[in-house]
Amino acid sequence: MSTITFENVGRKFDSVVALEKVNLHVRDKEFVAIVGPSGCGKTTCLRMAAGLDFPSSGTVRVGTREVVAPGPDRAVVFQQFALFPWKSVYDNIDFGLRNKGVPSAERAHRIAAVLKVMNLEGYERSFPHQLSGGMQQRVAIARAYVLDPVVLLMDEPFGALDAQTRVLMQEELVRLARVNPRTVLFITHGVEEAVYLADRVAIMTRRPGCIKEIIDVKSLREAEHWNSLPRIEDVMDLESFVHLRTMIWKSLREEKVEERN
Amino acid sequence: MSARSSRRPSNLEIWALGIGGLIVFFGLWAGLSGFGLVPPRFLPSPAAVAARMFFLIDHPFAGATLPQHVLSSLGRYGLGFLLAAAIGVPLGLFMGWYGLLDDIVSTVFNALRFIAPIAWVPFAALWFGTGVGGPIMVIFAGAFPPCLINAYRGAKFVEPKFLEAAHTLGAGNLRIIVEVLLPASIPSIVSGLRVGAGLGWQSLVGAELIVASSGVGYMMVQGQSAVSTPTVLSGMIAIGIVGYCVDLGLREMEAFTRRRRGLV
Amino acid sequence: MSRGRRRILVGCCAALALVGFWTFSTSFSSFISHGRFPSPPHVWEAARQIGGDGYADANLWQHALHSLRLVILGFLVAVAIGAPLGILMGASRRFDAFITPVFSLIRPIPPLAWIPLAILWLGLGDGAKIMVIFFAAFVPSVINSHAGVRAIEPHFLEASQVLGARGFTHIRAVLVPGAMPMIFTGLRLSLQASWTTLVAAELVGALAGLGRVLNVAQQDIYPAMILVAMAAVALLGWATTRLLDVIESRAMPWLPARA
Repeated sequence: MSTITFENVGRKFDSVVALEKVNLHVRDKEFVAIVGPSGCGKTTCLRMAAGLDFPSSGTVRVGTREVVAPGPDRAVVFQQFALFPWKSVYDNIDFGLRNKGVPSAERAHRIAAVLKVMNLEGYERSFPHQLSGGMQQRVAIARAYVLDPVVLLMDEPFGALDAQTRVLMQEELVRLARVNPRTVLFITHGVEEAVYLADRVAIMTRRPGCIKEIIDVKSLREAEHWNSLPRIEDVMDLESFVHLRTMIWKSLREEKVEERN
Repeated sequence: MSARSSRRPSNLEIWALGIGGLIVFFGLWAGLSGFGLVPPRFLPSPAAVAARMFFLIDHPFAGATLPQHVLSSLGRYGLGFLLAAAIGVPLGLFMGWYGLLDDIVSTVFNALRFIAPIAWVPFAALWFGTGVGGPIMVIFAGAFPPCLINAYRGAKFVEPKFLEAAHTLGAGNLRIIVEVLLPASIPSIVSGLRVGAGLGWQSLVGAELIVASSGVGYMMVQGQSAVSTPTVLSGMIAIGIVGYCVDLGLREMEAFTRRRRGLV
Repeated sequence: MSRGRRRILVGCCAALALVGFWTFSTSFSSFISHGRFPSPPHVWEAARQIGGDGYADANLWQHALHSLRLVILGFLVAVAIGAPLGILMGASRRFDAFITPVFSLIRPIPPLAWIPLAILWLGLGDGAKIMVIFFAAFVPSVINSHAGVRAIEPHFLEASQVLGARGFTHIRAVLVPGAMPMIFTGLRLSLQASWTTLVAAELVGALAGLGRVLNVAQQDIYPAMILVAMAAVALLGWATTRLLDVIESRAMPWLPARA
């Protein structure tokens, strides 16, 4: 059972209250995106689920266990990729598997499989600095995916990519998620990205952040058969999509306006 | 003197000026000694020095020929430097990771840091006589601090994102030190090795002036006692050449690691 | 407990443990014989001796002062010539092209390698020491001043040009302040080199100074005195470096103070 539960989570940095009373429950194998204005604390939430940060109040649980430390069961994909520049693509992906003690024959097999899925075949011996941004992020995702984690935590993973690459990566991620579903917590600025990728979209208020609203996308997506349209542009043209997007935008706008006041 | 962005000299000009400078230098030297303006005891002519150098290559002075002295010096230099690197780099990395170790070692280290390596020579003499242990100890004292400090800095200032990635990928302490801290610190470590090599070489020379029975420094001191200025100058030239080559080699290594890392 | 406090506590404990080990192994057991390393009481005795009656023909203050004078003299002369030379080399590519090859010949020679030559030229007196210190302190000053000028961001130089500064004004008002941080790095290195070289030179042969104390103590097989002299050298080295730091922060008030 791989759920993520935020229960009355608060986080203070010295005197600044970053998060207050955050409540969110991500169901097993559900894809939840968190959107919100900059600095609202959404990345902090993800880091707490990862075990890289800890709540000042409340609890963060994955499954039934409280999160106390980072680990490969909650794989993270960072915005800045965080690939080890001194390791080849192969060694980067291999790293987590070795830490888990997976025997070498199985490792080779799993890496080959994930390279194929992420369209990275032929790049095993390349180094990160030789790859484009999009490819690097693919390697980062591969590195997380190969561990077969129960939970996947993605922190604005496409934020550092140019617009065209971002679109391609979104399509790939959707494909991946449908084929091999698992619990995903996805942080993003982009409303359209969130609506396209997620089953539910959580909207966070500005600081001190808490979850303002949760919009269900999945039911609409299935009703309108978005999956039958392979390209993002077609999906984004649909009325249902536009409706959801506008709704979320408006909600976020309120946060921005209040902030300016 | 105009602002440097205007009228940059051409490559030809640079060459010519450089050669001109060298000509002035050697000309002055040859002139001062050639015209007897300075007694040969003080300043032998460039020719005399060159002749002496060639002589020393075949004929022993103070116990060995020049190449043998150089080899002798290099041998103990290599040992001392290797020791400094082999202890300093791993220790620095571990200190960068384990705070307690850092606290303990740093205190002792900072207290001893201001002691010039050369000041260890009397103890080296007391403990090792003129044996090989003395110079090695002094070289170690010179080369160790940069090796340690740079490894420490490299480990301590590794970008947090790499450590976070390693943790989320389930890596244990030892693996982090060897596969994350070490590679991430290589540029800093190589830089430290380069500085350490330089300081070690200087310490060697100093040690050999006082507590050795062979080596280039020893040869120079004997040359000075025998009032043979050409010998002394030959020694200086040999030392300069070897030191330069060692530094060149390490500079190349530094450039190589930067290239491979994609930092260039 | 905060990290800083813990560090001090652990440091003190480590230091105490070390001193304890030292006392124990030298005084109470013959683990480390007296001929090799002195025990704390011996060191205290030696310190008292040299502080009061004197050792090697003078007392501690006289030796220290002697060494200090030579270091400061050699250092100042080297820096007074080296720093402006480096600045000029940075300012004018032609001048740089002229000087650099010759400088490259001098540069790889370690300062201590000048000692035998200095003794040949000037004997065992102060003059030889100053000469060697000069060569030791000269090189880092030139290199760092040069690099400092070269490191000045081009837009400062362009601004100076646009505002019509020429020649000496340009140097004084733009190059020197801009290169100051690296010039001071060079000064620090020069000071370090000066101390190292002085001690070495005095070890080889001198009539007074801390290096001479080291030398005589070694010949007398008096390790306690060696330790006292080493401590004195370290202390003076630290003190002069601190002084340089203070001067640096006064000279460049626009920079944050050094930790």
